[in-house]
Amino acid sequence: MIRNGKSRRYFLGVTAGAGATILSSTALGAGKQIIDLLNPQSPIVLPPNFYPSIWFTMESNGRTTVHIFKAEMGQHVGTAFAQIVAEQLCLNWIDVEIDYPEIDHNTFLKYGGQITGGSYSIHEMFDRLSRESAVARRILLEAGAELIDASFEDCIAKDGLIVDTIMDQRITYSEILSETTIDYEISDEDLRNAPLIQKANYKIIGKPVTAVDISEKVNGAGRFGIDAFVPNMKYAKVIVPPTRHGAKIKTIEDTKAKSIAGYIATLPLNFPDAAKVGGFVTDIPLVIAENYPAALRASRLVEVDWELSDHVNFSTQDLLSSSRALIEKQADYAEYFKTGDIALATKASTSSVEREYVTNMVTHAPLEPASALAHFADDKLHIYAGHQAAPLLPELISLYTGIDKEKIVFYPHLIGGGFGARVEIEPVIFASIAALTTKEPIKIIFTREDDMGLGHPRSPSVQRLTAYMNDDKAITGLRHDLACGWIVFGAAGLVYPIKDGKADQSSKDQVQLFSVSGSDHWYDVPNTSVRAFRNLDIEKVVSNRAVRSVANNYTVFAIECFMDELAEELDTDPVDLRLSLLKGKGVNSGGNEADLFPKGIKPFWNTSPYQTSSSINGGKRLANVLRTATGLANYNGGPVKKNVAQGVAVAGAEERTNPSFCACVATVEVVPESYVFYVQKLDVVIDLGLVINPDGADAQIEGSVLWGLSNSLFEQLNLKQGSFVETNFDTYKWQNIVGIPEINLTIVENGDYPTGAGEPATSVVGPAICNAIYNASGARIRTLPITQGIFAQALGKVQKH
Amino acid sequence: MAKLTVNGRAYFVDDAPDTPLLWVLRESLQLTGTKFGCGGGYCGCCTVHINGEAMRSCRIRLADVEDAIVTTIEGLDVSTNHPVQKAWIKMQVPQCGYCHSGQIMQAASLIKENPNPSDEDIEIGMRGNLCRCMTYVRIKDAVKYAASISRGEVSND
Repeated sequence: MIRNGKSRRYFLGVTAGAGATILSSTALGAGKQIIDLLNPQSPIVLPPNFYPSIWFTMESNGRTTVHIFKAEMGQHVGTAFAQIVAEQLCLNWIDVEIDYPEIDHNTFLKYGGQITGGSYSIHEMFDRLSRESAVARRILLEAGAELIDASFEDCIAKDGLIVDTIMDQRITYSEILSETTIDYEISDEDLRNAPLIQKANYKIIGKPVTAVDISEKVNGAGRFGIDAFVPNMKYAKVIVPPTRHGAKIKTIEDTKAKSIAGYIATLPLNFPDAAKVGGFVTDIPLVIAENYPAALRASRLVEVDWELSDHVNFSTQDLLSSSRALIEKQADYAEYFKTGDIALATKASTSSVEREYVTNMVTHAPLEPASALAHFADDKLHIYAGHQAAPLLPELISLYTGIDKEKIVFYPHLIGGGFGARVEIEPVIFASIAALTTKEPIKIIFTREDDMGLGHPRSPSVQRLTAYMNDDKAITGLRHDLACGWIVFGAAGLVYPIKDGKADQSSKDQVQLFSVSGSDHWYDVPNTSVRAFRNLDIEKVVSNRAVRSVANNYTVFAIECFMDELAEELDTDPVDLRLSLLKGKGVNSGGNEADLFPKGIKPFWNTSPYQTSSSINGGKRLANVLRTATGLANYNGGPVKKNVAQGVAVAGAEERTNPSFCACVATVEVVPESYVFYVQKLDVVIDLGLVINPDGADAQIEGSVLWGLSNSLFEQLNLKQGSFVETNFDTYKWQNIVGIPEINLTIVENGDYPTGAGEPATSVVGPAICNAIYNASGARIRTLPITQGIFAQALGKVQKH
Repeated sequence: MAKLTVNGRAYFVDDAPDTPLLWVLRESLQLTGTKFGCGGGYCGCCTVHINGEAMRSCRIRLADVEDAIVTTIEGLDVSTNHPVQKAWIKMQVPQCGYCHSGQIMQAASLIKENPNPSDEDIEIGMRGNLCRCMTYVRIKDAVKYAASISRGEVSND
């Protein structure tokens, strides 16, 4: 028997008043009674589970299931979360499982947004999961000691056991949970005092474990959103409008489509203008059929008469021109990041350098095209899909369909590549409306052309950087003008301008952090000014959104290429210049997120209040990864080879709230005669603070490096008359298995609070390659991607010279 | 009605003769391990074996495979014990996993034809199978490991 009073005294002595109790009973006494079909007079008792935390459940057989509300899209986040829980609960790894519970409107209230993005999952959940699991272990320790009649202080938890170290008596978690019923709800006070196992004693965190979700990904068993099935479902295919946004359906003529066996109807989905703000949905015809091939065939025969808008006037060049015009005009901007007084620095300067950088649009193109299955049954709308922000869906679907959010249930499926694409709601909204309209289960599947035609690419950008120098060749001022479309994410990411390391809460301006992050670089320059010019044309016409590593891909490109140009101007080595500016002074000392972003950057977060900072000593840590990378790459140390050179770049991506400090040294060979270059090697060093799953982190970083390579060398999405030009992989080219450079990856752990691995290294690859190209050939690249044309043009200038 | 032999079983389906094999497998037979990626044969997600050779099921009509033997990822090895699958697990290759049914079917075909593929052989054999998570480095390692299992140099446990 476990008595409340005694247990409470043992248990930290703080539970009184928290409303928490430990109940005890004889074995299985508190289990739920159910009817025995063969002997109704004698009920069966279901063994109760131990559910101290909303994040995991322990069964009486000792098995622990960790509940994952983040989306699984390749990052094996469930494995990492399970490692954290297993570590602090002292479980055997073999006894840990994960599940992906269904999500409804209560999920958001209970678990928060659980948004899978920004490489925030580990950063968001590490401390909370650690503490909840540590407290649960303490409860088991107390219960186990009681059962083996040992003194609490003499017992330890180890490998799923409570061991009395004096008498060498032991009891398994399974025995504890079979013999008693523990009903305890962890309080905030418990979390504060959680008896955390420290890093030096970790047995599962930081150790290679087999990801719990691999085997279903090699035998076809894994269920992705596109694999969802309910009996008698009908299929839907969209007809992509002639412009990405702004086209309205006038009439639909489907006489010819009626000749297709299995064709049912074409629904015009028209949304009120207010619903189309932010570009989350657009008017769309939906072809419904008995099977998907019939929907494909019929969609080719449906004739839609569209009412076009001024969107037809926009092509890629117009978006770049309007960005350039905004910068030229210098009228309408928000000063996102400011130190000192740039005007004074300008006046006092004796020389200056100004350069412009351009990046084109890149799209997500996950290999699983978007899909969703919606089924209204039993007075509930059931949604089967994969989504990166599923707990927000009940509210959003309710908004677009009018159905009560209480009636919406979402069943998470694996995502066949997210990269930011699966925060979009189009497929889910379209399927929901169709299911409610037709009263049939509707599965919508985008073709590749639909998926890319209705894409949400990364904004194109135009950036102008100006550095001001004094007589001593010291950089006294740095101005960064950045024009791009901003990401519309509601309140998420809207921050105050930052002035000398403090948010200017009196400012009337709000800046979309996810569209400018990276421009707040870690270099110590006394007078800096980042001006964010918001290009509303881009937002209107393409509804740009977050693509892997988001703004860093253009801001870091511009800054890091510019640093090399400055080094040349100042006649110094680019690495030496960077190191001289990475001293971690002032705002760059880090650990100051509360000053920079007093209201946080993402609403609906679940971070524990006891979490520490990831950015402490930021500037110095960035210098360290640069030193490490250049050391490992033998920077400037090897024999000089004609047309082969190295280039560097650094970044503290994603944001200053969760910077993973990374450096890249690219080794590039240029063949001037044939106007080509080859990336031979990428040495990448990244400081993650703490690594949970080393093999998983390694895979994520390797993937992000190659994503950066693919973005830099191949990927370019164009807009022509309001519509995306490239809609399949015959024209939208990206990295395949040929020509992969040697990748030399090093992870630094300094023991600080962990950050994300999935995105940050993406941003340093492009600028490192550009800098290497210059060092090898003298060709200065200021545009991404580095197409053959761009490269040939830059090289041609050198050769002419 | 068309007759189809998939993974050693006979099926009768009533899809139109010009229906891509991909959709017959995925929708009519509910063999969803074979994935839809691009519909144009560019990405390799839908790779299956037809009479033992890796082919893109999105580009093949039902009518053309009535007398053929089709193997999908579900039928490659019922116990997930094919050397390529073992190698994929050993090297922890999949990230999101979506392309890997196709990668594995392509790799299985590759090592059958070439039991000891070089880096270049692997690049040529696998270049039509795209992976958006960019697991290419591990794919290369795993193909080599699978080949060494097949050659009996490494045990298949």
